[in-house]
Amino acid sequence: MRLLLVEDDPLLANGLSAQLEKAGFSVDTARTARDARQLGQQESYRAGILDLGLPDGNGLDVLRQWRTHKVSFPVLILTARGDWQDKVNGLKAGADDYLAKPFQTEELIARLHAIVRRSQGRIMDTLTAGRFELDENRQTLKAGDDTEHSLTGTEFRLLRCLMSRPGQVFSKEQLLDQLYSLDDTPSENVIEAYVRRLRKLVGPDTIKTRRGQGYLFDADSR
Amino acid sequence: MPIAARPRSVRGMLLILLLPAGIGLMALAWIIHGALLDRMSTDFVESRLQDEVAFLEHQVRQSGGRIDTLQTGDYFQEVFHHAFAIASPSRQAISPETWAPLLAPLLSSKQEGAVRARGAEVPDAPSEMLGYRRAFSVDGNPFVVIVAEDMQALQRSQAELHTWTAVVSVLLVSLMIGSIWVGITLALRPVVGLRASLKKLQSGDISRINADGPEEFRPLVRQLNQLLDSLDDRLERSRDALANLSHSVKTPIAAVRQILEDTSRPLDENLRREMASRLDDIDAQLESEMRRSRFAGPQVGQSACPVKQARDLLWMLGRLYPDKSFELSTDLPEHHRWPVEEHDLNEILGNLLDNAGKWSSRWVELTLGEDQGQLKIIISDDGAGVSEAARSQLGKRGLRLDEQTPGHGLGLAIVHAIVDRYQGQVHYTSSKAGGLAAGVVLPGAD
Repeated sequence: MRLLLVEDDPLLANGLSAQLEKAGFSVDTARTARDARQLGQQESYRAGILDLGLPDGNGLDVLRQWRTHKVSFPVLILTARGDWQDKVNGLKAGADDYLAKPFQTEELIARLHAIVRRSQGRIMDTLTAGRFELDENRQTLKAGDDTEHSLTGTEFRLLRCLMSRPGQVFSKEQLLDQLYSLDDTPSENVIEAYVRRLRKLVGPDTIKTRRGQGYLFDADSR
Repeated sequence: MPIAARPRSVRGMLLILLLPAGIGLMALAWIIHGALLDRMSTDFVESRLQDEVAFLEHQVRQSGGRIDTLQTGDYFQEVFHHAFAIASPSRQAISPETWAPLLAPLLSSKQEGAVRARGAEVPDAPSEMLGYRRAFSVDGNPFVVIVAEDMQALQRSQAELHTWTAVVSVLLVSLMIGSIWVGITLALRPVVGLRASLKKLQSGDISRINADGPEEFRPLVRQLNQLLDSLDDRLERSRDALANLSHSVKTPIAAVRQILEDTSRPLDENLRREMASRLDDIDAQLESEMRRSRFAGPQVGQSACPVKQARDLLWMLGRLYPDKSFELSTDLPEHHRWPVEEHDLNEILGNLLDNAGKWSSRWVELTLGEDQGQLKIIISDDGAGVSEAARSQLGKRGLRLDEQTPGHGLGLAIVHAIVDRYQGQVHYTSSKAGGLAAGVVLPGAD
């Protein structure tokens, strides 16, 4: 399994790459953001480990660049800062998992296997309806103006259901199936609350109400 | 150009605004006074002249139109300082004679009522006069009567009065300037006091500003003192944290160095493990002090968007635990703000959600709400839950209820520390799915 390790500290890089080789990965090491950018786009890897603090740039910028160039291998970021916002930013930039330094090599390898397994059979899957793009892997919605919204599980499933057939009316009962809650009797009010919230993301006219029938996704509305 | 752009001082601003306004208003009052005086005296003179004309007319009618029988003489001039002219078809009588050049043309004119004549250069007669003319007929003979008054004399006394008014006005204006000055100085005295206090504060003579003073400045002083409190608090905390940290970090470092320097000692398995555990200690200390020192506590001018932050965290945890569902339930609008520092709220939500994510089997729900001015966060999961007896131990630092999922203890301890700082509460109950429900209540904005 080919793996790209981006880490500028030589001691850590050497030690880590030796341990990863032992675990069955074949490791390429990049010490700078420039090398990382190049290697990531030229070679095809099964996974990447990316340190965020690189001497010539931010690891997140490298990651963003990979993702815009359709480099899709799963990436685990290493960070010394355990701030929640940093983690959110890392995942928003396209990472699949993060690990705070210092870490145990076993945990790193376990996480690597996990993200590789998750990414198996994964292609850049997007559902497009009008100006909206639903990224099925990352559970995000891109509106026409390039703003990306992160969705919670139910929001994503409801939107995927509606966007799968734009123009078709889905009844509240059909939409209730997308709701995943341990509540014994999820009420139809919950659907209304979710639709209200989704409308804030896609615009009030994009999801239309058909009184007595249900909802439909109007991809052409402005 | 804006008027009085950026005044340098309140005093200057008030003077710039009030002085011209005061002087301008006083001048306006003086002008109006002049105009009113003028009009009033003209009206008064006119009505008197009219009365006298009526009196003369009466006399003429009684004498049956023979004006030479009127024993007026210089009566009018002596009593009223007025001049008069009577014209009948047969003769004219004008008194005093010197006014004749002024009054004669008026007798033959057709004007009725009040008449003015000015600009005439006649010796012993005024250059400006106000007269009243009336034409009537007695026994079929037309008569004209005019009574006139010297306006110059009147205007002279009027001008004198007006000048006195101006003098009084100037006196009043200077009194007003004085009282404005005194007023401003008195009103601004607390500011001077405040400035002195700040100077003393800077030099270290006092540690807090005295909160006495006018009502307008009390919130300001209170906020300043709060700011000082939080600065002191933070300084003390970071000193403590650094002292703790260096104490607990230097010892393991010394131990590890000792082992590395001793070249005669082989680095066996046991020793490696020992060294690794020392390094772990350092890391744990560093991590806990870092996280502790990062949170801010309640602060002026800081607020967070709970819905937006919650959405991001839920989305992220959904990515990290792909087989679990992280849901948000809230009625708060998308851009609603809470008076909680952004990082602190992230730390509360992130730690509780991460815990719930670790312990849940498939489902985690975050509820955000506001109730009677309180901010409410509930995070419930469908995991195994925590027994009622063990719940009171949650959040006590260093305690891990289950060693299988590491990191549990620190996260909850941090949540408790932050919530304490905001004078809120954390409480644990059972979720409807049998797991744990962690509730946080924070005080809202006053």
